[in-house]
Amino acid sequence: MAVAGKGAVSAAVKPIFSRDLGEAKRRVRELYRAWYREVPNTVHLYQLDITVKQGRNKVREMFLKNAHVTDPRVIDMLVIKGKMDLQETIQVWKQRTHIMRYFHETETPRPKDFLSKFYAGHDP
Amino acid sequence: MLRLPAVHRTLAGVAQSSKVCGRTTTTAASNQIEVFVDGHPVLVNPGTTVLQACEKAGIQIPRFCYHDRLSVAGNCRMCLVEIEKAPKPVAACAMPVMKGWNILTNSEKSRKAREGVMEFLLANHPLDCPICDQGGECDLQDQSMMFGSDRSRFREGKRAVEDKNIGPLVKTIMTRCIQCTRCIRFASEVAGVDDLGTTGRGNDMQVGTYVEKMFMSELSGNIIDICPVGALTSKPYAFTARPWETRKVESIDVLDAVGSNIVVSTRTGEVMRILPRLHEDINEEWISDKTRFAYDGLKRQRLTQPMIKNEKGLFVYASWEDVLTRVAGVLQAVQGKEVAAIVGGLVDAEALIALKDLLNRVNCDALCTEEVFPTAGAGTDLRSNYLLNTKIAGVEEADVLLLVGTNPRFEAPLFNARIRKSWLHNDLQVALVGSPVNLTYTYDHLGESPQILQDIASGKHAFSKVLDQAKKPMVVVGSAALQRSDGAAIHAAVSTIAQNARTKSGVGSDWKVMNILHRVASQVAALDLGFKPGVEAIRKNPPKVLYLLGADSGCITRQDLPKDCFIIYQGHHGDVGAPMADVILPGAAYTEKAATYVNTEGRAQQTRVAVTPPGMAREDWKIIRAVSELAGMTLPYENLDQIRKRLEEVSPNLVRYDDVEEANYFNQANELSKLVKQQLLADPLVPPQLTIKDFYMTDSISRASQTMAKCVKAVVEGAHAVEEPASC
Amino acid sequence: MLVVAAARGLVRAALRAGAGPAAAAQARLAGTSTAETRPTVRPKNEVEQKQLCAFGEYMAEILPKYIQQAQVTCFNELELLIHPDGIIPVLTFLRDHTNAQFKSLADLTAVDVPSRQYRFEIVYNLLSLRFNSRIRVKTYTDELTPVDSAVSVHKAANWYEREVWDMYGVFFANHPDLRRILTDYGFEGHPFRKDFPLSGYVEVRYDDEVKRVVAEPVELSQEFRKFDLNSPWEAFPAYRAAPEPLKIEAGAKKEDAK
Repeated sequence: MAVAGKGAVSAAVKPIFSRDLGEAKRRVRELYRAWYREVPNTVHLYQLDITVKQGRNKVREMFLKNAHVTDPRVIDMLVIKGKMDLQETIQVWKQRTHIMRYFHETETPRPKDFLSKFYAGHDP
Repeated sequence: MLRLPAVHRTLAGVAQSSKVCGRTTTTAASNQIEVFVDGHPVLVNPGTTVLQACEKAGIQIPRFCYHDRLSVAGNCRMCLVEIEKAPKPVAACAMPVMKGWNILTNSEKSRKAREGVMEFLLANHPLDCPICDQGGECDLQDQSMMFGSDRSRFREGKRAVEDKNIGPLVKTIMTRCIQCTRCIRFASEVAGVDDLGTTGRGNDMQVGTYVEKMFMSELSGNIIDICPVGALTSKPYAFTARPWETRKVESIDVLDAVGSNIVVSTRTGEVMRILPRLHEDINEEWISDKTRFAYDGLKRQRLTQPMIKNEKGLFVYASWEDVLTRVAGVLQAVQGKEVAAIVGGLVDAEALIALKDLLNRVNCDALCTEEVFPTAGAGTDLRSNYLLNTKIAGVEEADVLLLVGTNPRFEAPLFNARIRKSWLHNDLQVALVGSPVNLTYTYDHLGESPQILQDIASGKHAFSKVLDQAKKPMVVVGSAALQRSDGAAIHAAVSTIAQNARTKSGVGSDWKVMNILHRVASQVAALDLGFKPGVEAIRKNPPKVLYLLGADSGCITRQDLPKDCFIIYQGHHGDVGAPMADVILPGAAYTEKAATYVNTEGRAQQTRVAVTPPGMAREDWKIIRAVSELAGMTLPYENLDQIRKRLEEVSPNLVRYDDVEEANYFNQANELSKLVKQQLLADPLVPPQLTIKDFYMTDSISRASQTMAKCVKAVVEGAHAVEEPASC
Repeated sequence: MLVVAAARGLVRAALRAGAGPAAAAQARLAGTSTAETRPTVRPKNEVEQKQLCAFGEYMAEILPKYIQQAQVTCFNELELLIHPDGIIPVLTFLRDHTNAQFKSLADLTAVDVPSRQYRFEIVYNLLSLRFNSRIRVKTYTDELTPVDSAVSVHKAANWYEREVWDMYGVFFANHPDLRRILTDYGFEGHPFRKDFPLSGYVEVRYDDEVKRVVAEPVELSQEFRKFDLNSPWEAFPAYRAAPEPLKIEAGAKKEDAK
């Protein structure tokens, strides 16, 4: 994010929750733990056709996707969004389709090389 | 810029002569006069009209009858403006400015005058905008919104006028006509066909052909564009789309070698119509009827799926994988002389280079164009040998023009319009060797035999003196003349004539005399890329595999080839070439691909994608690229930028868009042409398109077009033959 | 009263009686001569404007720490531009001050101006039923700076703030129930941000194989992404100066007293 760099320069930025990176990391670990514990429950509640292991791997993957973020404010924002997501999952506000969207089952990979693009159709 | 016809010009006197030729620099600032537009001072040349002075100041005066490429009529009165201290408002289009005038373009009086004129115009104009095809692009609509009154005082009945049938292209709803006479002036000045005129006077004045007949001009479609109201609209486009719901793509026409700039209007993935786009050096703002109306051929007779001929000799649909593997397998099995390629007239430079690169990989060099061009002498090695070197706009500077074996009116209608413009305004003297044809201007007919060229070249003919005395002579040879068996000799003779005229007339080296007028869009690019002109080599040396890339002129048939010859046809129309093929690869037409075309001047221009190719058709160079990959000799380009890089490597002028690369070495070309030992034949020089009925259907797209077929029927049997029930 | 009504009826009758073509034409002519010459613009009310200016100045004097600028736009719209820290005090003050009593939060929204350092402008529209008066409070923030929630002052702010969070991604600190309100669960991104693409990132469809609705990356065919920006309606731009007298006067702009 554009703001991430700016936050590092001026000292007077208002923190969201965490004052430093360590604190932000703690929050991430808390969230991860909560998700980790919730996965078996989710698989059961939503009657998902996946194993708990697969669910946990997906959680891990989603966390690792943002592993490069170091700005505590950005981390906090991601944690906030992750918590909301978790809440939506726990309360069963979501439906199966929303959970399964994390797994991108139906997406076919876009053709990459010339020939498969040629066969697939008119190149956009 | 306003071009006054010869009569006006002589009346206007010397002051205008500097202005008439658009390419000379304007007169020195000293004799410019100062006028004021709404108080802002503007310096203009003497003789400038009020309207032009306002235009120079950036203010557009509303007008209907005035058109800057036509003579001034001054009969619509919409351009009335107030001049300070003048008793009455003046018609801005016809009134030359006087020193110190203050033109008030938006004063109370001007606005009132406009409102009054508009009220009178609308008195007899039907209020049928909802069903009028001009709606949304109508000058009357726009200007009445801007300058008209917001309520009507008119309670009387409106006049009604009978519609005229002037052919299958232009639909007339003459009740809507406001008698601006733009169409009449266009027909007589630009098209050179005095078919339209007015009859009656006052309220009974009508625009028409007097007796019912067809408006027979190759530029007739342009009266649709210049008509400020919906009186003249397009018949094929009638009731199909509205201008605001179409998508406009700026593109290039490829149905002749002029390369007119066009706008392709599309809606829901379909070409709805084609309009001209302004390009001062090529087509000004006109396009020919074939360019404008042949688009319905893009929807018919299309090849939409790859096909393979089965054992019974019938075509069956196949998948791209199958046909490409088949073609690749065939290409892998042959080497060198066993394979050849012929390219047609609508092929773009990208496909040409891809095909050349592919066949060069199998050591094949038999890549030919359908169009023949003499290769003796300098042949196609020197670019100046096969270009319209003077450029299309250059005709306006020339004073003597020799046409050889060509009928520019139908081979390149817009080039012909330029010649006529120059003939009209600059007293261009035209002479013709070849069949006497109606060119819409007068010319000296020197004869039909090519021997006359010999006489002119050697100085025996009377016309050589005219050429010698010319200040800026021009010689234009039709590509058809060079396709005879004595083409090289004709080329040599013309080259000598041009060289002599050039030295004798003493023009600078930047003026070029020698010109070739091509008829197909792909030819110059193909020659630039090193294709061999003509299929003679293939006839002599029949290959095992023949690759036809859009070759539809039927210059080679099954009979010319061995029985087991494998023919691959790649193109967009099931025309002449496709039926004899073993494998058909469906390609894209010019509205469906971003491609480079080089016109007869040597000007590279690019078309843009307006619609996607139908069915499984693909862009041509991509098909060739895919074949190359399957055949294990992958060509090193994957996208448009990369293939254009490759084009640039081969010939940099192909990617310098809208830039004409100067071709030179006329002396050397002439020297080499002297080595040609070929005798001129006695057969008369006959261009392939003699009358207007030969004009409409010349290539696979226009042959598939119903509109063009109707045109041919109408010119042969009369306009009533294609009359359709009036729907409105 | 009765007399007036009767007279009116008479006039109408007379008009109806004389409704021949000539009379009608005359009536139309009369209509054209008295036609409105300028577009309908909100009339400027000097008194009202002065009052608003005075109130704005008064506010700026009382809360100099938070109010950076007070201005009257469009003749009668009072705006207070405040520092983000001052949301709670300013809103509380406006609600509770005897001379203000802006007790109703009519609207709360945000504006995204990506070129600014603080790209989001948070706008509070308040209504004082007591004085039949409206005021607009504006503050600013960026993607990562939390703004204090106004729920403690106005209950109505609850859903508005959820909406702003959902649509712009502005985080409201101390909001009792901050979660999405309009977008679908699992939706990523904030659609009202200017950098959010018009077509979005995903498209949904029902998939018969997995028997549920699936979301996939958008695959709009290219032709739907072209936009023709030339309007066919704009001939003669030079003469289109019609609504000329309409000028948005910035009103009495008052710089911060500090």
